[in-house]
Amino acid sequence: MEPDQIADALTAFINASIMARGHPVQPTDDLEAAGLDSMALLKVLLFVEAEFGFWIPDEDLVRDNLRSPLALANYICQRQSPS
Amino acid sequence: MRAGWPFRPSGTTPAGRLPLRGADLVLIAMQSLWARAGVSNNTLLVVQCDAPIAPERIRRALDRFLGSCPWPAARLKRPFPWGKLHWAAGPPAARVPPPVRRRSVASRAELHRELEAELNSAIDPRRESPLRFLLVDCGPEPATAQGFLVLTWFHPLMDPRGGQNLLMHLAHLDPDDDHAPRAGAPPSFVPDPDPRPLRERGRLGRRSLRYMRTLAPVPPVSPGTGLTAPGRVRFRQEGFVEDHSSAHSERATREITWRLALVGKAMAGLWDRRGLPAVPFLVPISVDLRPKGDAGPTFGNWLAFHFARFSPAETADVAGLARALRAQMADAVRDGQIEANAVAMEFLHYRPPSLMRRYLPAGSSGETFSFNCADLVDFPAALERLFGRSVVNAYHVPAVLPRPGIGVFFNRCASTNNLVVSWIDGAVSEEEVARIVEVVRDGMEWTRLP
Repeated sequence: MEPDQIADALTAFINASIMARGHPVQPTDDLEAAGLDSMALLKVLLFVEAEFGFWIPDEDLVRDNLRSPLALANYICQRQSPS
Repeated sequence: MRAGWPFRPSGTTPAGRLPLRGADLVLIAMQSLWARAGVSNNTLLVVQCDAPIAPERIRRALDRFLGSCPWPAARLKRPFPWGKLHWAAGPPAARVPPPVRRRSVASRAELHRELEAELNSAIDPRRESPLRFLLVDCGPEPATAQGFLVLTWFHPLMDPRGGQNLLMHLAHLDPDDDHAPRAGAPPSFVPDPDPRPLRERGRLGRRSLRYMRTLAPVPPVSPGTGLTAPGRVRFRQEGFVEDHSSAHSERATREITWRLALVGKAMAGLWDRRGLPAVPFLVPISVDLRPKGDAGPTFGNWLAFHFARFSPAETADVAGLARALRAQMADAVRDGQIEANAVAMEFLHYRPPSLMRRYLPAGSSGETFSFNCADLVDFPAALERLFGRSVVNAYHVPAVLPRPGIGVFFNRCASTNNLVVSWIDGAVSEEEVARIVEVVRDGMEWTRLP
């Protein structure tokens, strides 16, 4: 999958499971500014685990990777591409 | 009546009567252990502004608010001989607004004494309004006089987010005109009832109770263990800024698991110095159930609990402990335990408080938790200006009960990270609290504000 497709899937999950109706996020929106707290982030990590088959390790839970659905999608693509 | 919105009863809630939520009942049950000692169940929201606030503006906004929403004027009631605890409000004409008082102090030390007095002056919601306002004008030290708005409420009425929402509603009603302050649908002051069938909720509730009975095979120990004559509630608040040059600024230190691990490390030091038994820590972590991006309901503690467990020895490796705590929370979400906890608490409605405690981990022993720890949400940017003043800082101070006797609370207002430690005199000393603050500050790599 391309980063844009992954970002769309992440955005759809966040809007359906975490955000209030009428307050959707976009793929480039800052998730912390949108109000995502520790528990909401954990739900996103569990979604990544279920959909993409890996648990994001502690050392990769940095702001650059978690800033927006698109940033997280880029990280997931890097993890999935053969090195 | 100059109401901005009509009151919108929630689902089956009859107007004038609001049942308590499950988490509200848990807070009442835990306080009931100390009913004879008159222990406070107050919580404060302290908002520091750049100048004193005029009390008339708050009184006017409250009058308008009561026309839309009765709960600030309600009393806590339970039908005799049996029935649900609920907030009851009379007809609009009979609603008495909560008190708005004003004090002047000359120094920060005097301000702190006022705030501690406010924390300890327990609200009895059966006989008085469940909330009150205090405006403190602080001068001449510092040189520029500042104003403090203190919202004090009986904790089961609402959670910290609810307190902020109430201020937001009042601020919207503050402008001096008769127009509705918001376009669109009226805000929902209370959450909608759970639409799931009773059978499904019952299944979830039973599952949660089975789970909670496995959490504390050995009753936890707290600094308040053995305290027979609890002292006053005290608190210490300090503001910090993040050090963006540090290696940890890249790390997600805002996560509750990292913060809990640091607080755990500080507590393990306290346990060691006190010679307290090294039984596993049991710490309730509140989970805000509101969907994100919107203020959500105001009244009722809209929370579920996750119960973190770890040993004092595990705190030696904070990063490893944070990882383990995150895995614990992930398991609880995967297994649906947090959702089940929220449902289970709603079944406490018909039980007397003394029986409610049986449904907490190790609750029958009276030793419920080792200590409290919570991240009490960001102060909303929408409240940068409040009643004509600019907000400089804002923080929450929840009273803690004699057992566990101490709680550590985080919140953020603009760029200021606030750390508040509440404790009971006799359970912990000021020097011990200072050490705890320093361990957390050091681990967060925060710089102290002057």
